[in-house]
Amino acid sequence: MRALLSICAVAIAAAVVLAAGGAAAQDKPRYGGVLNWFDYGDPGRLDVHAESPLVVQQATAGVYSGVIHYDPDDPSKIAPDLAERWTVSPDGKTYTFHLRKGVTWHDGQPFSAADVKASFDRILHPDFKSPKCGAALKPMVASVEVQDPHTVQFRLKFAAAPFLGNLASSWCRVAAKHVLEKYGDLNAPDAQIGTGPFRFKRYERGNLIEWERNKDYFVRGLPYLDGVRQYILVGGPTQLAAAKAGRVMLWDAWPPMKKTQADELARARTDVDIYQASINTIYLLYMNTQKPPFSNPDLRRAVSLALDRQELVAKALEGAGVPCALLDPKLVGDFALPLEEVQKLPGCRQPKDADLAEAKRLVEKHHPAGLEIEVAVRTVGNYVDRAQLVLAQLRRVGIRGTLKSYESAAGYAVFGKGEFTMIAAQDRSMDTPDPESLFSVVYSTNAGSNYGRWADPKVDDLAERALRESSRDKRKQLYWELQRHILASPTAAVPIAWVEGWFFVDKKVRGYKPALTTYDNNTFMKVWLAE
Amino acid sequence: MRRPPLRTLGRLAGRQPLGAAGAGIVVVLVLTAVFAPELAPHGAKDAAFSPYLPPSAAFPLGTDHLGRDMLSRVIWGARLSLWVGLVSVLVGVTLGGLWGVVTAYVGGVADSASQRVVDTLMALPPIILALSLMAALGQSVNNVIIALAVLLTPTAARTLRSLVLSIRESPYIEAARAVGCPHWRVIALHVLPNTLATYIVLVTVNISYAIVVEASLSFLGLGAPPDEPSWGAMLTAGTQALESAPWMFLFPGLAISVTVFGLNLLGDAIRDLTDPRLRGGLG
Repeated sequence: MRALLSICAVAIAAAVVLAAGGAAAQDKPRYGGVLNWFDYGDPGRLDVHAESPLVVQQATAGVYSGVIHYDPDDPSKIAPDLAERWTVSPDGKTYTFHLRKGVTWHDGQPFSAADVKASFDRILHPDFKSPKCGAALKPMVASVEVQDPHTVQFRLKFAAAPFLGNLASSWCRVAAKHVLEKYGDLNAPDAQIGTGPFRFKRYERGNLIEWERNKDYFVRGLPYLDGVRQYILVGGPTQLAAAKAGRVMLWDAWPPMKKTQADELARARTDVDIYQASINTIYLLYMNTQKPPFSNPDLRRAVSLALDRQELVAKALEGAGVPCALLDPKLVGDFALPLEEVQKLPGCRQPKDADLAEAKRLVEKHHPAGLEIEVAVRTVGNYVDRAQLVLAQLRRVGIRGTLKSYESAAGYAVFGKGEFTMIAAQDRSMDTPDPESLFSVVYSTNAGSNYGRWADPKVDDLAERALRESSRDKRKQLYWELQRHILASPTAAVPIAWVEGWFFVDKKVRGYKPALTTYDNNTFMKVWLAE
Repeated sequence: MRRPPLRTLGRLAGRQPLGAAGAGIVVVLVLTAVFAPELAPHGAKDAAFSPYLPPSAAFPLGTDHLGRDMLSRVIWGARLSLWVGLVSVLVGVTLGGLWGVVTAYVGGVADSASQRVVDTLMALPPIILALSLMAALGQSVNNVIIALAVLLTPTAARTLRSLVLSIRESPYIEAARAVGCPHWRVIALHVLPNTLATYIVLVTVNISYAIVVEASLSFLGLGAPPDEPSWGAMLTAGTQALESAPWMFLFPGLAISVTVFGLNLLGDAIRDLTDPRLRGGLG
């Protein structure tokens, strides 16, 4: 009996030791393997300075580095990237970045401060359309100066609280001066020469984007992965089928899964962690203010009143979203106008009877026989479903729409040129977690995604005053005033909701932490795959 | 002595029971399409209900992901499918048929050249040709009709050309020419009437084909605009919730299958009845 007990004790001890050893082995990063995930569409163009679609940023994320970035270990913090450290002048208007030495581009050329200057001179040039990084930095950065080959200075127009956050944005990547001189832009796959953890390996249009490990990455020992494959999967059913079949290991980008899809995935796979989260993305409906009929503010107001945001969230997002809000309290805290106030405003309040009657009156005033419009929509995510709901809601007030659908990149081209009447659904992700991002992305006159070309001097003034303001309380008051003003105005971009949804990570994927925006932390520099 | 029409129909149904079943399905389909506004309990585009409701007394076929009544959409879908199928086939087969008849009658270089064009069009895979046309023309019901008509034209041209090659050698054609009939008169009065049976068969068998291609184009997102109640687009929406809401996929799929089955049965029966080489005949 004693012998039996001894054997059992030894066996249990051995099992505990093995389990502990196994756990330790699982916690120790492992080299090798390829991470598979997906892009919702084909990027077409690859210039991260000049484009705004998420797929462009995703396609090139691991190839480039920033001067600074959001820390992969704690995405709420800003950390050095190409800069080792930085100092700020007492007046808060000069930031000096001390750059790493010995960094090389993927083609073997040495990296220096001249590359940083070339990149930001390009981004900040008044004639260069940079809807993300440029739109965020142009209002605050006066110039970028090289102090020596490893020191660069950003001189600001005023002490701007969001500067570091904007510079850390994954759209503010540093490109090589010699590459910009050779290619003129960053669109070609051959021009994807960065200093990031991965080299750009290949781009098969409509099919695949692939990176391979950069053995000379400036952070010793990183990355762990041999490579990353991004399959171009268009449409929810295709994306879900790939997830269920185990073809993708990660779903942490736009578009999120809906509850129904997450439930299907949970039934199909037990080797994934599924979670619900926000992706710092606002769902908007755009109207073109530069041509009839929506050059008429009455008709923009009628559309805003007719839209039932709660129904759109309930059906198109299966309840996962914050309807009506211009800023989401979950994301920016008390910078957001209280939801109780927002939900009482015309357009958002329930029941909708009074708003629908007023919308109908406005439409009949200008178009007694009803209004016929063409409604544009990109065929990505569930935009087409959302568009059908919008058409159904607009019919209630006498606006009859015909859908015109566009492939992703073609849609962006049309929207950018202002060649549309209405865009039924367009999500815009914030570049940084700062409330300022919404206004530089959507609502300021020069915002990168001001597709409806709405210009309101009061919006520009309040947004700039909030940027310049260093007191948090005063910034909050300015943002509240700004939100109240926009929500009461016949804006071109009607805020429908802040988008939430379901995502998953394969249990094999380690070292991955979701970021505060959908653009950050997708370089996979610290990600590794367990056995 | 002429038999009463009902008795003739009854006799034909007895001779072609499957054809009669097909005709029954087609009649139901046509009545559904014609009386869609009266039959559908709700608007096809009204997203006025809760999404993903399973079939019940209130919603016999359930609701879709946007809260639209599936029964109403399937009923309105019959109208869209029949309209697209019928118009595209009439346009495509008529134009293609005339093309084949005229070039076969004229013969020579014109006939040879036209047949090379037909060869080229027939060498293109039909669904790829339709997708390319839709991509170029843009999404609308009228453009689906145009794409399908283009798809059907070469087949009709080739089929009727073959028929006219034998007709034009017939003694009555030679006789008409010998008495000085102009060519247009020979074609209109002597050639075309003899191609009518084949034309009718081509129309009936191709309607089901056109309906399936329209559904395929819509399934791929390049058919009718997304908010139109197309059975193919309903299938696409159904794939988003195959497990949790199978009714979204099942009922439009069933509608396509039954329609195509009925039209094929009817087309086969008409072919049998009009082809003297097969058993039957109208006499």
